[in-house]
Amino acid sequence: MTNDRFSRQSFLGERAQEIIGNSIIGICGHGGGGSHIVQQLAHVGFQHYRIYDGDIAEDSNLNRLIGATVDDCQRESRKTTIAERTIKGLQPNADVKVYPCRWQNQPEPLRACDLIFGSVDGFAERRELEACARRYLLPLIDIGMDVHCVENEPPRMAGQVILSVPGGPCMFCLGFLNEQVLAREGERYGDAGPRPQVVWPNGVLASTAVGIAVDLLTDWTRELRSVVYLEYDGNRNTIKPHVRLQYLPTSPCPHYPANQVGDPAFTMR
Amino acid sequence: MSVRCRVPEQLYRRVREDLARPHEFAAERVGFLSARLGSRVGDERLVLFSGYHAVPDDQYIDDPRAGARINSTAIREAMQRVLDSGDGLFHVHHHAHPGRPGFGWMDQRETPSIVSSLQVAGPHQAHGMVLLSNDFCIAHIWLPRVEKPVVAQRVTVIGYPLQFFDAEGE
Repeated sequence: MTNDRFSRQSFLGERAQEIIGNSIIGICGHGGGGSHIVQQLAHVGFQHYRIYDGDIAEDSNLNRLIGATVDDCQRESRKTTIAERTIKGLQPNADVKVYPCRWQNQPEPLRACDLIFGSVDGFAERRELEACARRYLLPLIDIGMDVHCVENEPPRMAGQVILSVPGGPCMFCLGFLNEQVLAREGERYGDAGPRPQVVWPNGVLASTAVGIAVDLLTDWTRELRSVVYLEYDGNRNTIKPHVRLQYLPTSPCPHYPANQVGDPAFTMR
Repeated sequence: MSVRCRVPEQLYRRVREDLARPHEFAAERVGFLSARLGSRVGDERLVLFSGYHAVPDDQYIDDPRAGARINSTAIREAMQRVLDSGDGLFHVHHHAHPGRPGFGWMDQRETPSIVSSLQVAGPHQAHGMVLLSNDFCIAHIWLPRVEKPVVAQRVTVIGYPLQFFDAEGE
């Protein structure tokens, strides 16, 4: 590594590269979004990774899975293997621990992270990941996209980037999660078919998420934004603060009370 | 054994605001932070702060040799809080200077005895002492059923931005 490897990002601050290099980053889901995130984190200089994905690379992933090759699909490479390869190509000495499973099956390493990226499928998965992040006081950056098809109209491509910081509003407070969307998702479980996914919106959302992470860690913008909920409109190519931010509750988050932290324990009294 | 601590920014600010309040005769204030343990990989542990409890004005002892000294009622109430909540408790105070703070000889002599009392009330939780300076934070942690404290490898204030306070040499 040459001394000027990060010279073009020295504006991030005197200690920025040290902070970036010391931070442990969790990535849940190395699919269309997570693979963009992993690649960018490696470029930025992150050195500690905990990556979860239980899937193997398939032909249908090649339209968006960064780092994946035709050969990976033929070999049935694990997505976590592709992630590790991407990182090591840029950061040969990085501490990369991969978990080819759902994060719920091995959650302990995730708790050790300083920051988590969530690039998971569905509302229920998001709820579970945020619940874990809140219990262990972990900031979570969630990204996701979807394409909605309505008869006689062009498909609508939409997405979101949400920063969920313990103590601040959660995805329920922001109105992104609610009982209705969770129930609808539950009803559709098993017959949803392949969901539309393409590379470019994931790139936009992942780049935005990485930008938020770098600012969260280095405070280079000094904007001190407490709540981030961005909505992406893939048809208009815009990303902007979500309208719901104007109607945020002022009371503390009721969904994750402050005293509900740490390992759950049953105490006899 | 390594331990990392996390504290939400709102809680961290509340502690600082309370400790900055002047007292009639005490030169500084003290308080207690509630905490719960979280497991990490292997023998690494997390201490997660969840609440703050100010010491009422009338529970200070007028002792010119100490910046702040609290009476037995304050300690008994802290022990009761451990019993009632099942939380660990951390004695917290502030040294008014910038940079990394250090526990003084009085802190090191007196506070461990408070921690011993808390350990009796809550043997399954971590207890300890937290020290703030104007811009830094350190913590010493007594893990369950352990006599000697460990120094927190890192204290992270969870907000925007994240603030990291690493132990010396980290």
